Amino acid sequence: MPKLTIDGNTVEVAKGATLLEAAQQLGVYIPRYCYHPKLTVSGSCRMCMVEVEKSPKLVTACSTEAADGMIVRTTTDKVKAARKDVLEFLLINHPLDCPICDQAGECSLQDYYMAYSLAKSRFPQGDKARRAKRRAVGPHLVLDNERCILCTRCVRFCAEVTKTSELDVMERADHSYIDLKEGKALDNDYSLNIADLCPVGAFTSRDFRFKTRAWFLKKTSTICLGCATGCLIEAHHHENAVHRIVPRPNAETNTWLCDHGRMTYKAVRAGDRLAKGVIKNGVIDLEPALREVASRIDEAHSAAAVLGSPWLSVEDNAALSRLAGDALKTENFCFDFTAEQGIRDGILINKDPAPNTAGAMLLKAARGGLTLEEFSRRIGAGQIKVVVTEARAAAFIKDVVKASGARLIVFATNKAQIPAGAYATLPYASYFETPGTFINHQGLRRRAEPAVEAQEGVKPLWEMVNKLAVYSGTSLRLHCAEDALKGINF
Amino acid sequence: MANILLRDNVAGIEAYFAAGGYRPLKKALALKPAGIIEEVKKSGLRGRGGAGFPAGLKWSFIPKDAEGPRYLVCNADEGEPGTFKDRELIIKNPHALIEGMAIAGFAIGAAHGYIYIRGEFAAETALLEKAIASARAKGFIGRNILGSGFDFELFVHRGAGAYICGEETALLESLEGFKGQPRLKPPFPAVKGLFGSPTVINNVETLAAVPYIIEHGGDKYAAIGPARSSGTKLFCVSGAVNKPGVYELPLGTPLRDLIENNCGGMKAGKKLKAVIPGGSSTPVLTAAEALGVNLDYESLAAAGSMLGSGAVIVIDDGQCMVKLLQVLARFYHHESCGQCTPCREGCGWIEKLLNRLEDGRGTAGDIDTLCSVADAMTGRTICALADAMAMPVTSFVTKFRSEFEAHAAGRCCPPEAQGKY
Repeated sequence: MPKLTIDGNTVEVAKGATLLEAAQQLGVYIPRYCYHPKLTVSGSCRMCMVEVEKSPKLVTACSTEAADGMIVRTTTDKVKAARKDVLEFLLINHPLDCPICDQAGECSLQDYYMAYSLAKSRFPQGDKARRAKRRAVGPHLVLDNERCILCTRCVRFCAEVTKTSELDVMERADHSYIDLKEGKALDNDYSLNIADLCPVGAFTSRDFRFKTRAWFLKKTSTICLGCATGCLIEAHHHENAVHRIVPRPNAETNTWLCDHGRMTYKAVRAGDRLAKGVIKNGVIDLEPALREVASRIDEAHSAAAVLGSPWLSVEDNAALSRLAGDALKTENFCFDFTAEQGIRDGILINKDPAPNTAGAMLLKAARGGLTLEEFSRRIGAGQIKVVVTEARAAAFIKDVVKASGARLIVFATNKAQIPAGAYATLPYASYFETPGTFINHQGLRRRAEPAVEAQEGVKPLWEMVNKLAVYSGTSLRLHCAEDALKGINF
Repeated sequence: MANILLRDNVAGIEAYFAAGGYRPLKKALALKPAGIIEEVKKSGLRGRGGAGFPAGLKWSFIPKDAEGPRYLVCNADEGEPGTFKDRELIIKNPHALIEGMAIAGFAIGAAHGYIYIRGEFAAETALLEKAIASARAKGFIGRNILGSGFDFELFVHRGAGAYICGEETALLESLEGFKGQPRLKPPFPAVKGLFGSPTVINNVETLAAVPYIIEHGGDKYAAIGPARSSGTKLFCVSGAVNKPGVYELPLGTPLRDLIENNCGGMKAGKKLKAVIPGGSSTPVLTAAEALGVNLDYESLAAAGSMLGSGAVIVIDDGQCMVKLLQVLARFYHHESCGQCTPCREGCGWIEKLLNRLEDGRGTAGDIDTLCSVADAMTGRTICALADAMAMPVTSFVTKFRSEFEAHAAGRCCPPEAQGKY
């Protein structure tokens, strides 16, 4: 293991580690544009140059392997001059349109200029190279070639991570520009990662564009519920509205985040968001809706049933199990979901589109219940007349419900989720508005944390279940989500 | 002394053979590869492409225990402005190159050689193809050469017009079918070169000198010229001399001799003003400096320039140095691959600054900016193209500052005024 000195501090690093990695280990930050830990080294931006004793020229920290006895300096006048020069080169043809650029506030050009340059421009405005502005290059991205610093992170991402190779550098010298290869669009499942990767405002998200300034955003660490992979994410929000989702890179699941996952937040403020109950096709206030649902359940007596959902948190599934066991006092409940688990595309997207299949199975282990097959059989046989479930889980029993004419009562966040033929729908708070525990395909227990507050009157599912129980004449005494978990070993 | 490389009447294989050609190959095949490398090291032969790296040492960098194929690549992408020697060699003495490659291939254990030839050299490509075919017909190229059991196949690959593909790793990228952009080093080509295999890349002139070294021994070659600059070198002289052209001279020959004797002096009415001694990227010498320097690696380095590719560009007093530098800047701006920030942005900036000065829009401040931009490009990039732009800028401005100042003061040089300042 090579031992080297960086700015006077000694560090021992793994064989093959670069100077940049060694510095990182010591907590010494070396500025970089083209370097990215998950992409191949390009070594072309020349921002990370450092001084190595006995080396006549400065070397790029991103591409130089640490060797035993090396003496590295990152703060000498030579290094400072090199950084300042690179920044000047990058800025001469930059449009400096920060006031209208989405990247402003989280831009490496701005940040490094403040940290390492602060030089006055020596380049006449009229001599700046002009390039194509704001072109849509795919469903999610806008490209502004004038702001581009040609670090090629985007090119390497498409070549190495998605292996779709949509992008390349065209032309040469300062005529160079990033463009789509002929006949391609930037429409892979991970295109929005490029907006994150881009250190400047060249690639921006069409969705986030002009929504808010980066410095207003508050950040909540939470998880993605787009599939069973359960990526760690950060929800960025301002004035009680989520504006975008970015990955929280971690060793267990994800460096990146898929476009589908990034768009899941859209449901929170979608036009079809439910705040009231729906009986057949009519929207009615929550209280009468609950009363109506409670009376239909009571009417069915022991023929009422509860089906859990792999789209709901462990807590909300537990609340549903309490509804079956302690309020309806029925044997007719089911938390039996099996779905093939595993990464579908070799990157992140799971074969199982539901985020909590493993969590629902935990309820099965703790509370028992019917198999999905037996549950369906009982619906078909008319032994179950009313089913309470979550909207997307209703798909598991769709055909048999239709055939038998059983009443379907679903919890849904958005109108689009409501299955055809549902008798009643009750709203609940999404997991951007209320916490919940989920178990991903690897068995990792992860927590969704609320980023924003739900609309007035929209309550978490466990609270809706609690109310429903009260309307049915019992009390589950659920005061918080965790109350539902009592007696569940987990 | 007699020419080693540029010989008359040896272009055809029969003539080459009659003059003793392909005897060195036979001799080499009877030696051990290590023995050949030792002989080349002894000869002191240095790379003739511009960098002057010792050829024998380069060959010895091929890892002994490397598995899989090794490659020999000849850099015939002669693109340095002012250089036209490899072309002449290919026309006049193609078999020296072919034979040199077969010997080098044997020495480094390569079964395949590639000649990456400049795309514009269409006629030369055809000549070379023909020469290779005739060598193959005689059994000097191909399987089991001269019954030695050594196989060596030779391919000619045409470039597509990029100056940067003369840089050896960009050449490899291009040869592999990618955009010609220099690679990060290390790994060096000797370890990971063409198709990821150990590779030696030599200039045409370097390889063409190998048969002589094998035939006459490294010591005899080393005896030509000064101690650390042994052998003969081709010099391509352009500019206002009476007889411009390619001359083969022992290294160490005074530049004054080349201009005054070989080239017959300056054209009538022209006075020597400056010389770029080793191709457009090498620092310019003033007339006084040029007339006192010898043409070898050390003397030129001591004079603050480089032997480079041996392209001697003679500048007379009718030329405007700002205009000349503008021409060079336009070239390097056009040819920068655009990979590294300082080169991509710097070459363009320098051209714009020179355009301002040349058009009469420049200021005295622009001259300082010119120098500081060149400084900021020097030694900061993956390959030497940025340095190749910076070196002429620095040397032109330092040595001919008054011309730049005159431009900044608004006195431009229309043709009739050229040479007045």
